[in-house]
Order: sequence, then C-alpha cells, then structure tokens
Amino acid sequence: MCHLRAASPTPSFEEHADIQAGRETASDMFYLSATPQEAQVQQSASPAPSSPPPHISIRALRSEEKRLGKKGVPIVGSRRRRAALKTSSQIPFEQLPYQCFQEARKILQADREEKIHQIEVQRARIARLEAQDAAVSGGELYKKNRLDSMRRHLEELKILADINDPLIKKRFEDGLGNMNRPIYRYLADRKWRQYKRLILDQRITQHNIVPDVLPNMDPVADVDVAFSQRIVQPGDVVESRRTEKPPTLRVQVFDKGERLVTVAVIDSDVPNVEKDAFDFRCHFLACNVPLSPVTPSMPLGTMPKENVVLPWQPPFAQKGAPWQRMSVFILQQREGKIVDVAAVKENTERHGFVLRSFVDRHLLKPVGVGLFRSKWDEWTEGVMKRADIEGADIEFKRKKIEPLPYKKKDGARYR
Amino acid sequence: MLLPRLCAPTRAAFAASRNPHTTSSISNTALEAIRCSNAAPATTILSFVRHATHQSEGRANGPKDGPGKRLGAKKTGEQYVIPGNIIFRQRGTLWFPGENCDIGRDHTIFATQPGYVKYYKDPLKHPKRQYIGVVFERHQTLPVPPNAARRRRLGMLAVKREDIEEAREDAVGDLVEGANSGEGMVRETPREDKVPQVVKTGNKELVMRPGYMYREANWQIGRAAEKKGVKVNKFDRGDRFTAWRKRNARKERNAESRRLRTKKK
Repeated sequence: MCHLRAASPTPSFEEHADIQAGRETASDMFYLSATPQEAQVQQSASPAPSSPPPHISIRALRSEEKRLGKKGVPIVGSRRRRAALKTSSQIPFEQLPYQCFQEARKILQADREEKIHQIEVQRARIARLEAQDAAVSGGELYKKNRLDSMRRHLEELKILADINDPLIKKRFEDGLGNMNRPIYRYLADRKWRQYKRLILDQRITQHNIVPDVLPNMDPVADVDVAFSQRIVQPGDVVESRRTEKPPTLRVQVFDKGERLVTVAVIDSDVPNVEKDAFDFRCHFLACNVPLSPVTPSMPLGTMPKENVVLPWQPPFAQKGAPWQRMSVFILQQREGKIVDVAAVKENTERHGFVLRSFVDRHLLKPVGVGLFRSKWDEWTEGVMKRADIEGADIEFKRKKIEPLPYKKKDGARYR
Repeated sequence: MLLPRLCAPTRAAFAASRNPHTTSSISNTALEAIRCSNAAPATTILSFVRHATHQSEGRANGPKDGPGKRLGAKKTGEQYVIPGNIIFRQRGTLWFPGENCDIGRDHTIFATQPGYVKYYKDPLKHPKRQYIGVVFERHQTLPVPPNAARRRRLGMLAVKREDIEEAREDAVGDLVEGANSGEGMVRETPREDKVPQVVKTGNKELVMRPGYMYREANWQIGRAAEKKGVKVNKFDRGDRFTAWRKRNARKERNAESRRLRTKKK
C-alpha cells in the first residue's frame, strides 16, 4: 500500500463505446495481457520469468519496485501474485484443458450477450422517451423521474454485463482497471466501502471531525494522504519533519465525468489563550482543481498558482498543547461554477478560517476527507523556524483550577 | 457367596408370617369388636400442628429501617462546580452523565470541568434518560443542538519555554578567551583574578568558596554518589511494591520523629 497507484495508461475511452471495447478485450483471453505494450510491461515487472531465484530479500524486491515506479512502469498485482505468475505455465483461457471450465465460460458469455442486448433495448427506449413530448408521457416531472430510473437501470445493466468476466476481475486486482469504464469504478467503490471507508467513518466519529469542522458529511471519494510517497492512515500522528513538505493526495472518485473541487486542509485545534478555547486554522486552500476518476493524483506542492489561495503551511503543535487534528477536505463545486480565486484570496485569512461558512458561501459539497494529527516533537522547532512561524518559544501549561472555599461546619452539631 | 442361598428358606417363612389373611386378620376384627362394645365416649383430640412456612428469625426479617445512605443531589442546577465535585449520589442510574460529567463506580455523577450544573433531557440521544451536565458559562443551555461544533475549553496557559538553549554566556569557563567576541580560544592557564585558593586535606582539594569557607565545589559534591558508585534504581511508575515500601518507610520515619518530639516535651 505504500505506492500511489499510477493512473491508467489509456484513459481516453468514451463512455458509450465502453461496452464495445469491452467485448473486444474479452475475446483476448490470455492470462497475461495480449497487447504488446502490456506484455512488455509484464516482462519488465518480472525480469526473469524462466528461472525464479530461490530466495530474494524483501529489500531487493522493494528497491526493484522503486526503480520500476520511477521509470513509470505500473507494478502489477501483489508480490505473491507476481511470484506465482513467474512459475505458472501461461496458457490462454480458451486452451485450458478443463471441460467444465470451458462450459462455464460459455454460459457466462451467453449471459453477457443477453445483457448487451438488454442494454441496446434500454438505450432505444430512453431515446424514444427523450424524443417524446412531455404532455404525452404524463407531465414534465413524470417524464424526468421515468428517465432517471431508466438511466439508473441502464447503469446497472452495464455493470451486470461485465461483473462475471474473469479477465476484468484480474485486471482490476492487478490495478490496471480503466476507471473510465463503469465496471472498474463499481469494483473499486465496492472494495473501498468494504474496508477503508469503514475505518475512515470510525476515525471521523472518534475525532469528532463531523460536529467540529463540518455539520455532516458522507464520504463518497477515497482520499489517501501521502507525505513523501508514504500513505498516512486516517488519524495517524505524523512527525512534523514529514509534514514539512506538502502532501500528495490520491483522490479516487467513483462517478463518471470531470468536476472541479476545492481542497482545504484545516487544523481544528489551534489553542486560543485569551478566549480559553480552540480556533481553526487553514493550512492549505486551493479552488477549481480539476478531478476525474482517471486522474486521482493531486500533488498539493505543484498546484498551478492560479488555483492556490493559501499555499502549504507546515502543521505544528506548540509544546504542551494537545495534539492537533488536521483534516484534508475535498469539496465538490457546483457543476459549471467557478470560484473566484482572487476574491477569495482577498478576504481569507489562515487564522480563524471557518470551513462551515466557506462551504455555505460557495455552495460546496464535501465528498472526501483525509485525516492526520500533529504533535510537538523534537523537529517542530526547526520546522517552525524554517517556515517563519512564531511561537516556538511558548509552552502550554495546565491552568490551576481554584478549589471551592471550604465551608466549615458547626462543630457543636456533631457532638 | 453362599449367604443368599442360605437365607432363602428363612425369607419364605417370614413372608408367610406377614400374610394378613392367614394370621393377623382374626386378631384385627377381634380388636374392633372390643372397641365397638366399649361404650365409653370417645375423647377425640385434634392434634393439629401448623408448621412455619417462613423463617421468622434471621437476617431477612431484620430491621427494616436502616441508616440513610445520604443519597440525592449534592449540587443544584446552575451551581458552580470544579472537576471532581460530586453532583449526584444514587443507587442505579436515575441520572446519566451528560456534557463534561462522568459516572463513578457506584453511579455517582461528578464534574470533569469547572462550570455550572445543568439537569436536562436529550430526546435525540435517548428518549427516556435524564442527564446531568456542566456548562462553561451560566447562560449556556443543554442539550446542544445536533451537529453544532462542540464547546471546548483550552484550560491552559502560555508560558515561556524553559528548555530553550539560549546564548549561554555563563557556560563559558574562565579558560576561554574572548568569549564575547566569539573567537573561543582556550588559555593555557586560568585568569589571574580567577585563580582559586586551594587547601589540600587528605585526597580532597578544598577551594575557598564564596561565604568565606573552604569546601569542595558544588559540582564535586554533586558527583559524590557517582564517585562512590552508588547505584540508584530508575524510578518506575508502575512499580507499586517499591512505592509501598518507600511510603511505609517514610511513615515510620515520621512517626519516629513525632515520638521523639513528644518525648522532648
């Protein structure tokens, strides 16, 4: 999990041509990818397929993976799977000598044909209804609802057509799924909801992110926060020297299309001694960041200047202060609505930035969240000095609570 | 082994003697006849005993009216409390801990933050429960609306850090020349006005210290244990046994000194 998954090499698929393309790819039933480019990738990922070395140290494997990652070669599957691939006889699916297996494949293919036929029928129906006059089809609202439900059914059919395809399953598990196709998005969403989202939900509740920073939130996008190539588990305490440089986000959305998002990193535990309470501080703010299912990578350090409202300020917690919750929010902007960065820049300050009102003002919808925590450690002082932040010479100490005056009871009563 | 077989004839004889038709039937009827002929009035004594079904003595039927347990509210609504103050004593959970409150082992509700006590219900949290909470300002109310940011108190003071390493002038010894200019040359011999007067006694070097006395320097005294090789175990918070021993030793010492004091008087 320590590597960010690279974007798929062939992102330009049209949505309506998906099924056609899928049918073609389904025919190449090679266990390894059939296209020469992918085959080459496979070979470079597994340098010596003929003679597997008897024992390789993890360190050697890791350095090899790092080398390939730097080259831009996607690393396929897990280490175990790559090792298995090296030793397996790579016979294509149609030539496998298992009669039952071949019969089962035939059934699956027939089912797929049927689903594709249903898709065509559904598309024709939708086109017919769209062309129809609203008065004939029972009113504008009725027509809209009917079209919505028909489109939903069409999406379901698209997924059902591909869900039983072993090659699609293999490609998804190898991390080679094309996120433009609904089936891969569906599989990725399901996988995320099975484990990562549950953890995230728990952390949001445990750290009270939801009532404190935003009134409510329903994460629909998978957000990974990575400092120097290392993903932080939601809610982890991260050393201040690691968080000095801005993180790279991997934001995977599971619905189609490009959209603009606002990215905000908020510290919700800034101590305020005068108020005897906590404030908010914004550590990063960027608007109008394009995001689509195939472009999940979002390096905060190299964002174009016209998008950035507040550049990265390293998170810090002064000595003695309680740990500070840093939350990374992905806020989806309304369709076709662009935030005026210059205007936002003018009336936005880091200290006292309230995300609730910002979200309300710009009609944003929170879609994803990432969490980490920061604490005073031995590197914080240096980090603060380098970033020109004052207050490293201050230490927080607990205020003594005055005891209530003791009321002396009348001794005579107790004699 | 032979016993059952030997006993068999005896058993048969015994069974025959117990047969009512053969021997005892005659005698029974005779007795009845005698009873009937005896015309004396029968004195029928009804010996009717009613045994206890409940235990009347013992613990279960003891005094009903024991000492009161002093339960109930110890602080009223809006009263000021500090952390640890007991707000309510109860058997079971008549009241539940709300904001800035907690519940003890015997269901006592106590405050965890300084503030004002509020008794309230929170139907969104639980439809039937009643809660005791503490708010920071008297005018604040409970329950807080759902999805509102929590009210939190810092409860801390900002002070200057003590462990900062400053430009340490005092750390520069008298062997260092030009300490202020920053060159930092080390002299061969100490400065003349800093040459200490030394007296040797035994293997100790006693120096004239401020206060006009010859004694070891403070750092030497501080290192005495190290020189002697005294080993001190590192303090372990969880080592309760050592803590207990030390505590008892201290108590003993104190008691001893107290005794001595009283003797003097």
